[in-house]
Amino acid sequence: MTMNLFNQFLSPTFLGLPLIAIALMAPCLLYPSPAPWWQSNRWTTLQNWFIGSFIKQILSPINTKGHSWALLLATLMVFLITLNTLGLLPYTFTPTTQLSLNMAFAVPLWLATVIMGFRNSPTHALGHLLPEGTPTPLVPILIIIESISLLIRPLALGVRLTANLTAGHLLIQLVSSAAFSLLLSQTTAASLAVGLLLLLTILEVAVAMIQAYVFVLLLSLYLQENV
Amino acid sequence: MMSRLVILSANSLKGSGPFGAGLVHASRSLHTSSQSRAPVPPLPETGGKVRHGIFPEEIFQLLYPKTGVTGPYMLGTGLITYLLSKELYVINNETLSAICIFSVIIYGVKKFGPSVAAFADKLNEEKLAKAQEVKDLAMSGLTQAIENEKKEQWRVEGRAMLFDAKRNNVAMLLETNYRERLHMVTNEIKRRLDYQIALQHLNRRLEQEHMINWVEKSVIGSITPQQEKESIAKCIADLKMLAKNTQAKATV
Repeated sequence: MTMNLFNQFLSPTFLGLPLIAIALMAPCLLYPSPAPWWQSNRWTTLQNWFIGSFIKQILSPINTKGHSWALLLATLMVFLITLNTLGLLPYTFTPTTQLSLNMAFAVPLWLATVIMGFRNSPTHALGHLLPEGTPTPLVPILIIIESISLLIRPLALGVRLTANLTAGHLLIQLVSSAAFSLLLSQTTAASLAVGLLLLLTILEVAVAMIQAYVFVLLLSLYLQENV
Repeated sequence: MMSRLVILSANSLKGSGPFGAGLVHASRSLHTSSQSRAPVPPLPETGGKVRHGIFPEEIFQLLYPKTGVTGPYMLGTGLITYLLSKELYVINNETLSAICIFSVIIYGVKKFGPSVAAFADKLNEEKLAKAQEVKDLAMSGLTQAIENEKKEQWRVEGRAMLFDAKRNNVAMLLETNYRERLHMVTNEIKRRLDYQIALQHLNRRLEQEHMINWVEKSVIGSITPQQEKESIAKCIADLKMLAKNTQAKATV
């Protein structure tokens, strides 16, 4: 039963070819490229509006030097939100449930912010390891704690996304199989389970979008610290 | 692989002010076809018509001649029955989650679809309105400039009149000034001549008075006492005679 539940997270292959590549291309294929004419259709207008307002909001606390990250953050956001929401459709595979993918996003980007910070203003970057106003006896311990917290950030970023999505999908599988198996014998219990499934689905839609947003937001925060 | 997303993000960020720095030219290298400009066919205003949200109207039109109105629906029902009965599609727990997610999606689209479409239309309308406003302002500015120019041309025609009036003014000023100075000169000369006249008068009067005084003095000095007595006696005699005459006239 447990083996069955986790089967959905196996990276799909077909004749030895990893199908995750096709899954990862899905967001790119879904959005229309902007038209060369001046006034575009509704979908493109909404896209442009969404990306524009998202970037405005996320880059507003960052100074001008960090604005070169705008394209990266926008792309990452659109990619993650599409992958997450597409994974809610039935029989789809969500690449962001793979820890490897999320770590592949989190570690290089986080490391980039840290290296940028240490290269451009090392004292300022090291200063982040000690919060202001700590009493003197606590300083050594606090530095160690802050360094650990700094080093755990990529792990946290990756695992947060993975865990949230995996847990969500797992719950959906569990509740739906419970409802399905109860459907014919105890229909009222099954209907309660279906109600729960409905609420869970709404939650999962929200979680999918929020987790993508949180990932990008935290990256922008790390960037803001170091730029 | 993510080039489509990058192009998408780049193009949407391109127009958004200070945040779009450096993104425009990066996407140029990814353009594949050259830009063809003319003649551009007009674009359709709305998208293709669909029935029930996903099935294009063309399928219904395609099947209408052979199977009438219910044709596509029968096709759909038949397909689903076939898939279910032959167990090509197995109903399992995923079906339930599929029902849930699709009901959520359909509810969302039905409820928020029109407002989102109106919002997108509003964004486009605002863009159009801004451009229209610029165009209208430019046109009104230009018509105003034309009117101003015409007015200036009309003003130029009146310039000759202005110059004449100014010329007259200046001539009048000069004339007035000349007359004033003339008047002043006459007055000054008259004053000087009056002074000379008054001086002469004074001289003559002094001479006259002096002469009279001298004559009187000499006459009075020349009168001897003998002469005086004689003249007084004569006067008295004359007076007596006159009195006698008057008396005689009075009685007559």
